[in-house]
Amino acid sequence: MDIKILLVDDENDFVETMVKRFGIRKMAIDSAKSGQEALAAMQAKDYDVIILDVRMPGMDGLEVLKLIRERAPLTEVIMLTGHASLEAGMQGMNLGAYDYVLKPADFDDLLDKVRKAFERKELNAKARKQGA
Amino acid sequence: MPRPASREPEPGSDPLGGDQGMLARATGARLWKDHGLLLWAHFLVPPVLAALVVAATFATPVLAGILAAIVLGIAAVSARALMLRLSQTEEQRLALTNQLIQSQKLAAIGELSAGIAHEINNPIAIIAQEGEWATHLIGEAEKQCGADFAEVKDSLREVRAQVDRCKNITHKLLDFARKREPVMQDVDVSRIIEDMARLVDKEAAYKNVTLVRSLPQDLPKLRTDAPLLRQVVLNLMTNALHAVSEGGRIEASARADDEVLEIRIKDNGCGIAPENIEKIFNPFFTTKPPGQGTGLGLSMCHTLVTGMHGEISVDSKPGQGAAFTVRLPRRPQPART
Repeated sequence: MDIKILLVDDENDFVETMVKRFGIRKMAIDSAKSGQEALAAMQAKDYDVIILDVRMPGMDGLEVLKLIRERAPLTEVIMLTGHASLEAGMQGMNLGAYDYVLKPADFDDLLDKVRKAFERKELNAKARKQGA
Repeated sequence: MPRPASREPEPGSDPLGGDQGMLARATGARLWKDHGLLLWAHFLVPPVLAALVVAATFATPVLAGILAAIVLGIAAVSARALMLRLSQTEEQRLALTNQLIQSQKLAAIGELSAGIAHEINNPIAIIAQEGEWATHLIGEAEKQCGADFAEVKDSLREVRAQVDRCKNITHKLLDFARKREPVMQDVDVSRIIEDMARLVDKEAAYKNVTLVRSLPQDLPKLRTDAPLLRQVVLNLMTNALHAVSEGGRIEASARADDEVLEIRIKDNGCGIAPENIEKIFNPFFTTKPPGQGTGLGLSMCHTLVTGMHGEISVDSKPGQGAAFTVRLPRRPQPART
């Protein structure tokens, strides 16, 4: 099954590499350069997993995370950051992020986490359907 | 005879399987159900034997004496076993009652604080809006009359900052009270500990604190809620980091047996005063100076671990550090209603 992934990061090179590497595995991945772009993309498509950079100019990653959780509670979010910021990590996890990846991200590691996040999303969706 | 609810878990499974099971065990109903035959024997064997002795007195005195001695011995052994069993049950009952009171207390405090947070949220939002409006008006006035309102603007900024602080607390509280049904996945616990430790590493290095991992290679996968477990591990590590002084040491370890997987975060920091041990999982309990901690971290851990059908405990002596242990069941647990 195809996983619908959105990568939100302002760093062009990183986004390009990731899109390429996911592409090699025949996994389509959309990208957004800012929080606003990400939220706009979410209106057009239901994403399963969003990979979200914590530090971006404009809208703060944690702010975006909050909005994603509000608007699409089933979508799982993996936080991404260039440096290990404990405070941001804590806040991200407490706001309901699925996982946390430190840049430079190991691709296999990230892929594994995306798969796990997707599995959780599916389980969650199933549980909701049964509960309803 | 009081019967525990039918939903009661299998004997030997989760020692805390729901309030019903807990109560059944606490009142001894469980004991009766499991060992009814034995208890009947305890009660009935001595009188029956006594009747035999009475019968024997009509036989020879020697035979009667031997029989009486045997009966006395059996009765004594039986009474002793019964007493032992009773005192064990009493001890268990006490421990369970304490646990029940503790978790009920935490739940009550949690509910109360969530209620307050909910009520306070609206006024806080209005204060924030009004503050923003006032800032806007001051800006306009500045433009029109050319006066300098820097101090007023400064004061409004401070209002804003403090309102944000309040919002932060109420959000944490509401988030913490919201019941999230755990989503069970196969989770690599070593990996989670390693990932979270990496987040803490840098901050630890600033303080010259070493964060040691001792994780066995063959730690089995655990079926649990991954993000909740990450939150717990990260909170406990951060907590330990705050507790240790410069050059301190934190050790994160894990081990498993057939029943449970145990995660332990141990530090060599200041430890916890005996009078605080009881309160350590209470919401808002903190020993940090005002404004530096909300006192919600550990109570959140307690709520999360309980939600994962596990237990969290602390072991500490003042001046000798503290060790927090999270024990999670390895077998699937019945859903709680």
